[in-house]
Amino acid sequence: MSVQACGDYAIIGKPVPKKDAWIKVTGEAKYADDLFLAGMLHGKLLRSPHPHAKISHIDTSRAEKLAGVRAVITGKDFPGVKYGNMPQTRDYLPLAIDKVRYIGDEVAAVAAIDEEIAEEALDLIRVEYEPLPAVFDAEEAMKPGAPQLHDHAANNMSAETAFQFGDVAKGFAESDYLQEDLFETQPIKQGMLEPHACIGQWDETGKITLWASKQSPYVVWKQLSMGLGIETSRIRVIQTYVGGGFSGGKQEAMPMDFCAVVLSKKCGRPVKFVHNMDEVLTIGHMRHPMKLWLRTGVKKDGTLLAQHLKIIADGGAYSSIGQLSMYLPGAMLNLPYRVQHVKYEAYRAYTNNGFCGALRGHTIPQVCFARDSQLDLIAEKLGLDPIDIRLKNGLRPGEVTPNGFRLGTFGFTECVEKAMEASGWKEKRGNLPRYRGIGMGCGSLVSGARVMGHSASTAQVNVHEDGTVALVTGSTDVGQGADTVLSMIAAEVLGVGLDDIRFALVDTDMTPADPGTFSSRVTFWTGNAVKIAAEDARRQLAEIAAEKLKAEIDDVVFRDRQVYVRNDPQRRLRFDELVRLAQHRLGKVIMGKGSYTSGEALIDFRTGYGNMSPAYTPSACVVEVEVDPQTGQVTVAGVWGAHDCGFPLNPMLVKGQVLGATVMGIGQALYENLIRVDGKVMNPSFRDYKMPLTEDMPKLANVGHVNVITNDPSGPFGAKEAGEGAAAGVIAAVANAVYNATGVRFRSLPFSPDKILFALKESGGKGGKAQVQSQSFT
Amino acid sequence: MKPLSPVSLKVNGDAYELSIPAWRTLLEVLREDLSLTGTKRSCQEGQCGACTVLLDGRAIYSCLFLAVEAQGKEILTIEGLARSAGALDPIQKAFVETGAVQCGFCTPGLIMAAKSFLDENPSPSEEEVRRATVGHLCRCTGYFQIIEAVLAAARERAGKGAPA
Amino acid sequence: MGYLRRLPRFDYLAPRTVDEACSALAERRGDARLFAGGTDLVLQMKRREITPRAIIGLKGVASLSSIRAQPGGLAIGAMATFGAIESSALVREKYDFLCETAAAIGSPEIRAVATVGGNLSGALPCADFPAPLMTLGAVVRLRSVRGERALALEDFFMGFAETAVAPDEILTEIELPVRSGFSAGAYLKFQDRHAMDMTTTGVAAFVTWDRERGLIGDVRIALSVSGPVPLRVKNAEAALRGRRLTEEALAEAGLLACREAQPRASWRARKEFRRELIGVLTRRALRQAGDKARAAAERGNA
Repeated sequence: MSVQACGDYAIIGKPVPKKDAWIKVTGEAKYADDLFLAGMLHGKLLRSPHPHAKISHIDTSRAEKLAGVRAVITGKDFPGVKYGNMPQTRDYLPLAIDKVRYIGDEVAAVAAIDEEIAEEALDLIRVEYEPLPAVFDAEEAMKPGAPQLHDHAANNMSAETAFQFGDVAKGFAESDYLQEDLFETQPIKQGMLEPHACIGQWDETGKITLWASKQSPYVVWKQLSMGLGIETSRIRVIQTYVGGGFSGGKQEAMPMDFCAVVLSKKCGRPVKFVHNMDEVLTIGHMRHPMKLWLRTGVKKDGTLLAQHLKIIADGGAYSSIGQLSMYLPGAMLNLPYRVQHVKYEAYRAYTNNGFCGALRGHTIPQVCFARDSQLDLIAEKLGLDPIDIRLKNGLRPGEVTPNGFRLGTFGFTECVEKAMEASGWKEKRGNLPRYRGIGMGCGSLVSGARVMGHSASTAQVNVHEDGTVALVTGSTDVGQGADTVLSMIAAEVLGVGLDDIRFALVDTDMTPADPGTFSSRVTFWTGNAVKIAAEDARRQLAEIAAEKLKAEIDDVVFRDRQVYVRNDPQRRLRFDELVRLAQHRLGKVIMGKGSYTSGEALIDFRTGYGNMSPAYTPSACVVEVEVDPQTGQVTVAGVWGAHDCGFPLNPMLVKGQVLGATVMGIGQALYENLIRVDGKVMNPSFRDYKMPLTEDMPKLANVGHVNVITNDPSGPFGAKEAGEGAAAGVIAAVANAVYNATGVRFRSLPFSPDKILFALKESGGKGGKAQVQSQSFT
Repeated sequence: MKPLSPVSLKVNGDAYELSIPAWRTLLEVLREDLSLTGTKRSCQEGQCGACTVLLDGRAIYSCLFLAVEAQGKEILTIEGLARSAGALDPIQKAFVETGAVQCGFCTPGLIMAAKSFLDENPSPSEEEVRRATVGHLCRCTGYFQIIEAVLAAARERAGKGAPA
Repeated sequence: MGYLRRLPRFDYLAPRTVDEACSALAERRGDARLFAGGTDLVLQMKRREITPRAIIGLKGVASLSSIRAQPGGLAIGAMATFGAIESSALVREKYDFLCETAAAIGSPEIRAVATVGGNLSGALPCADFPAPLMTLGAVVRLRSVRGERALALEDFFMGFAETAVAPDEILTEIELPVRSGFSAGAYLKFQDRHAMDMTTTGVAAFVTWDRERGLIGDVRIALSVSGPVPLRVKNAEAALRGRRLTEEALAEAGLLACREAQPRASWRARKEFRRELIGVLTRRALRQAGDKARAAAERGNA
């Protein structure tokens, strides 16, 4: 696949506005909560107040009698089939039947004529619980004798992974220096502005329709089928505009989805459910809090030889995608640095806290935080420059990692250099005033993966006689710009305008099945599928044009809504004319079809070996901070990121993705923490679950984003992901910057003012001792 | 307890005579009684700004405001800003062109806040823009393109003369 | 379960005058809540912490939102919004640190609606106006069908969400005395982020400069979120009166303020952390107010 020079493209590479921006700025875009169907009822969920309890009895009679209530359901109204993401670990139920496992676990649901009455009805449902002992700490949960959450999981082991490549004992033996640290990360919520929302309808023919804010509608479709015990052909999931996803509940079927359809069946009316934000912050779906023990062996010149990483993660009450969550950190430990010997073990324990799963970056930011913090520690110990140690160990294009990742393009060196340049690293490092510091953190991500059902993406391009095109995929736009970028690909190939492409919202009755929007896969996988589909349509048209214009097929050019002969552009016709010629004269309706899968073998989860993704993206982030030594408050004074996205199909949207991900990383580093006490979320509010605000951000002049362009031959027009990768190294960058500013090393998140202040007091200023004692592990 | 109160609301220049419970917030009435769903329901606690509308030109959180107390005031929502794509308000246009819109859920509230702010302060500094929009959460953009959009809108409005 | 809900049912009353409001309050004895800006009350109702049968909305009582000069000093109407205070030329002239206090609360949207009267009457620990107003010797005026009385702000706060306001009384005005001599105030608070957060700890300092002797003439220091109620730390004040504005003096004051304070431990912030902040913010607020007062004295303009 040859790659044209960027200057040759009509649309690709241009910072064009997002296609749906105009209906969003006018307020016309309808999100799920904006939809009102005739006769619609309103649903509310009753949640467990206990972290662990048996349900002995539920009496819904008083609730049912409340005027305005149309139906009340409990777990018994479902077939009792557990659903979930991975075959071995399906442990979700639409509503609890015999047991609740965390505060917030759904127990019953009501449909009423308005929300007020639905809320009142919840008060009238009487549930008799037998509280059970509960456990809130992962290590405690894994000990014999701990309260058991699930019958199938001895010692609350939700998922375990272990793999080894090379020989770490040998690697450590050959090392000149060993560094060992314990890092701790906190639970993080998606924090999207749109709470989960859906409308369910079960009509008289037995057809089920769910309008919902979902980033992966087919996952929902399959899970609904599983949990309802109904064939997928009777279920239709229609995606509404997604007001932010970041995985979590919008990635899966949720109790509200199940309850909406079953209540609809009982009432004969559509039923809408919308979570309040405190519900969103109370329920599961969050980033795993974990402890990471990392031991690294290096040569005195800084060459990494061996790493041993052990993770204990608090998985919460249910599995979600636990197996994958535990595989990823160890896998991604192999990037972006070259390490010959890697040993990895991870344990995900069930606890009576809210359950954890994927969240932009999944479990990768945690491992990058640990590893890239440690790299600075090692550099300091060895008297090496933190940049040099990174460049020395950075992987290069074409290398293969011990666990089988085959790097195509991989502009790691350029990322580091560009981040340095953009931030003024050389001038600043070592020259900043006291309590001001600069630090770097690096990471890497995948461009989609062939793991557990992320199998392939397909696209269909329907060309209409007026020269417009309907682009149909199974991918969703969640704000990242898929609608625009995929349309740009189609428009570029067909030589039409971006406005000529209509991008379809996903409707499982009509759009092609697709794994969904996650793992930063859409631009790469669906983008490739779209390109193939558009090329298919173009070839059909080119054949007809070649005939008409008396030219060779390869000489037919599609550009600016025109079709002409390459070296004789006078011989031309308009694109729409060509379509009408095909359709009306020749009876050929033009439809292009394309499908893409990476062709890689599936990962062998037992050994951890396999090339997970067709393309990997490195990134480097530099953060400059100012610390108030008397209060511990950190102010981010500057942030600069360089990310290898292959080729920025739309630089404005890539910038939005990179900077947005970066700010989420800053949030995790400094402010965010879902605080739980005995299983109760203390801060289920945006007031107390603190995400960054405008005034927490540096001045525009101190913000930089650089695209490292490597033109990956496997990606559509050379593109790779830009959704999650940029955030991977941010937390370590903040940690390293805070260390540079204060001399105190923080290994537990978030770096709160309290922690910083007291660490500074203890250390008496710069050059203090370690803040968290490292613990050895065997 | 009186179930319904008569309320006259003036929204986007249109007059509405309603009969609503006193305990409805302005946000609920706009969305549910007037079908103006452009203003969003998010945190409902006055923390995120998704529900911001203008009351006599001032940005307020409509989730914390009783509809009955909006009587006699001029309410402006996102729907009142522009009626069609061809005639976007400069602020809307700037948001579109600067990449300030991703998922779009925070967008209407932010645009309204920006309008109130720019009407009051037509040539703001970056710091002032940051301060004016601090009551808005955006999880997608990281704010930078939003701040750029508001500054761009200010320049455009200044170029074209007095604000609408 | 304590999840957010739609508002509970209530009657809404809209008096036009203070007298009407007092009558309504007296009639509905115990059953009704005064509704100022509503930004706190709406949340408390959504959480079902409070479920009044009636709401007496004060937004229609125009006289309550005036900010005016009066012979004794300045009178700020209870319904003056933070935004109105922030932009009031009169307040800026007399006590500019009150403008700064207002400007630092929440967001423009909150400031457009939330009122100083609500901030005081709600008596929530995180309220920002009590401490600065206490350093000014503020007096609140309370009115009911039984008459009117004045109450020093220092005697106003009784406990968490508890004030000395009788169930049938309305806080109508906050009176501030004429500012004496060369003086200035500062209110500094700590929040985790750079805006929007509940105040972790706040310190207000008001310094009157003794121009002749080049010393701190008088000083008042009050703390928020540092005890069951906002408090004046009189030991710290006593230690500073008649002293030069040195780092040593400020450090001592900070230490004394810490000792007098009784910050609470909560999941929001540890006691030890709050104590540190009290010390730091006391020193800084005194420095800011002291420097400003001294500068005013040196310039010769009060």
